[in-house]
Amino acid sequence: MLFAGGQGGLLSLFILYCGEVSLGYFMTAELIIVQVLNGIQYGLLLFLIASGLTLVLGVMGILNLAHGSMYMVGAYLMWYFVTVTGSFTVSAALSATIALSLGILIERVLIQRFYNRNHLDQVLVTIGMILVFNSLQSILFGNDPYGVPVPDALDGGIPLTNNSTYAVYRIFVAVICVGIAGLLYFVIGRTRLGMMIRAGKSNREMVEALGVNIKSLYTIVFAFGVMLAAIAGIIASPISSIVPGMGESVLITCFVVVVIGGMGSIKGAFIAALLVGLISTFFSILMPSMANMIIYIFMILVLLIKPQGLFAK
Amino acid sequence: MIFEKRTERIIVPIFFILALFVPLFLDANSFFVGKVSTIIIMSIFVMSLDFLVGRVGLITLGHALFYGLGGYLFVILSPEYEVVNFWVYTFYICIISALIALVIGVVILRTTGIYFIMITLAISQMAFYYFFDSLKYGGDDGLYIYMTPETSIFGLSFLNLDDPQHFYYLALFSLFNTLVFFKVVLRSRFGRIVEATKQNPDRTEALGYNIFAFRLTCYVIGSTLGAYAGFLFALQYGFVNPSFLAWEMSGTALVMSILGGLGTIYGAILGTFTYEGLQYFFEHLTEEWLLFMGSAIILMVILLRKGIAGYLEKLLEK
Repeated sequence: MLFAGGQGGLLSLFILYCGEVSLGYFMTAELIIVQVLNGIQYGLLLFLIASGLTLVLGVMGILNLAHGSMYMVGAYLMWYFVTVTGSFTVSAALSATIALSLGILIERVLIQRFYNRNHLDQVLVTIGMILVFNSLQSILFGNDPYGVPVPDALDGGIPLTNNSTYAVYRIFVAVICVGIAGLLYFVIGRTRLGMMIRAGKSNREMVEALGVNIKSLYTIVFAFGVMLAAIAGIIASPISSIVPGMGESVLITCFVVVVIGGMGSIKGAFIAALLVGLISTFFSILMPSMANMIIYIFMILVLLIKPQGLFAK
Repeated sequence: MIFEKRTERIIVPIFFILALFVPLFLDANSFFVGKVSTIIIMSIFVMSLDFLVGRVGLITLGHALFYGLGGYLFVILSPEYEVVNFWVYTFYICIISALIALVIGVVILRTTGIYFIMITLAISQMAFYYFFDSLKYGGDDGLYIYMTPETSIFGLSFLNLDDPQHFYYLALFSLFNTLVFFKVVLRSRFGRIVEATKQNPDRTEALGYNIFAFRLTCYVIGSTLGAYAGFLFALQYGFVNPSFLAWEMSGTALVMSILGGLGTIYGAILGTFTYEGLQYFFEHLTEEWLLFMGSAIILMVILLRKGIAGYLEKLLEK
C-alpha cells in the first residue's frame, strides 16, 4: 500500500483504551464508570482534531484529508522535543508554535490555490500532502514506534474504588480539551474575529466588500485548525503510541465526527465527538467485533435521518 | 465511431497495439508481464471510477469497497479445494456485486455533495472493518485462493490462468471491453441523459427523467465493473485481504483517474500507467519515494488541471 502504517493505528488506540480498564472487569458498575470516563476523554480528543477540520470545511469549504497528518506532526514533534529538552511544557509550546507556522505556510503556499477549485482537486492535493508528510516523518524520525513519558506532576491516579484508579493525566487531557472547546465557543460566538469567521462562512464576497481581509482571515482559520490538530497530537502523545500512519486512522474518525455534527458547527462537532467516543469505547468492550464498524453505522443512520448532520444550520 | 475525439483515435490504438505485442518479446514469467497485468487490471478499476466521478458526477471515496468485494466474493462463494469455472464465477460475482451496489445505491444516493463523499467513505470503511475484524474471513491476513479457476466454454479451453502471459491477455481483453462498453454506453441515448443529469439535474428532471434511477443504474454499472477488476486482481495474486477495500485504495484510484483526465474514460489508462510508472521509477530511485510521489501529485494538480488527457487534447485537437 501507498500509505505507511494504515489502519492498524485506530485499533492500537482502542487496545490502549481497553488495556486501562482490564482491572475493572470484575465489577460492572466500576467498569461502566471507567468506560464512561475513557469514552468522554477519547471523545474530547476527537473533538480537538475535528474542530479544526469542521472549521476549515465549514468556513473555507476545503476538504482537507491531510488534517490527520497534523495530528501526527504534533505527536512526533512532541516526542522529538521531549527527548531533546526533557521538559513537557517547553516541548508542548515549541511543537504548537511550529505547527501554527506550518499551518500558515501550507495555507499560503498550497491551500490558497484551491478555494475556487472543486472538492476533487482538494482531495487530490491533500492526498499528495499526506504522502509528503508520511515520507518526511520517516526521513526525520524513522519508523519505530515511540512514546512520551507522562510528566511527573501529572503522573498518578485518582482512586475510584478500593482496587482501581483513574490516571490523572487522562483527566488533565479532558480538562485541556474542555478548556479549548470553551475558548473556541467564545471566540466564534462572542468576538469580532468569530463574527467575521461566521460571516465569511455565509457570504464570502459580502464580507470582502465590507473591507475584511478575507485572505488573512482564511489563513488564520486554517493555521489555527492545524494547531488544534497538533495540540491533540501533543497532549495525546503520553497516552497513545506514536507510530507511522497514526494520522490517517484518526482522520476518518474525525470526518465521521464532522459529518454527524454538521459541517462547520463547533457545537455539533463537540456533541458528535462525545457520542462517537462513548459509542466506540463501549462497543470495544461489549461487542469487540463491531467496535470499529459501529461509528460508521451510526453515521449512516444519522445521515439518513438528518442528511445535513445533527447541528447543521 | 465511438471514439469522438482525435486524441482518442490516436492514443487508444497505439496503446492497445503496443500492449498486444509487448509480452511477446518478454519472457513469459518475467516480473514485467505480471506487473503490467496488474496495472491493466487497475486501469479497469480506475476506468469504472472515472465513469462514476467524471461522467455521472458521483464523487465516491468508497469505490475500493467493490474492488475488495470482487475478491472476497470469489473466495467466499467458491468451494475451497475444487477447480471452478472462471466465466461462471465472473457471472456470479457480477450479479451479486450489482445487487449489493443496488442496495447501497438506494441508500446513499439520497445524499449529495460532500455528504455523498462522506457516506461512500463510511460504507467502505464499514466493509473494511467487517473483514478486518472477522475471524471467519481471515481478519487482517485475508484469505487465500488455493485453486485457480479453469476457463473452458462448452468444453473448449484456450486460456490457462496460471500462465502469466494468458492472464495478461485476459486482463487486456477485459480492459478493451470495458473501454468499448463505456464508450458505447456514453454514446447511447442513456449516456446522453446521464450527461444531462450531471450538467443540469433540475432541467433534466423537468424534462421528465427520473434522475435517481439513472444515477442508480450508473452506480450499479460502475460498481460491478470495479468488483470485476478486484476479482481479477485477487486471482492474479491468489489472495484477498482487507487492504483491498481500505480508503487509501479508493484515494489512489481517484488520484489516478484525475491524473489521467477526469471523465475522459481512456484517460484512466493514461493516469494509471503514469502513476504506476512514476511510483516504479521513484521506488527504484530512492527509498523515500513517497516524498517524490506526493510532490508529483501536488504539482500535477496545480499544473495539469485537466489531466494528461486534457494536455494531450490541447496538443492534438485543432
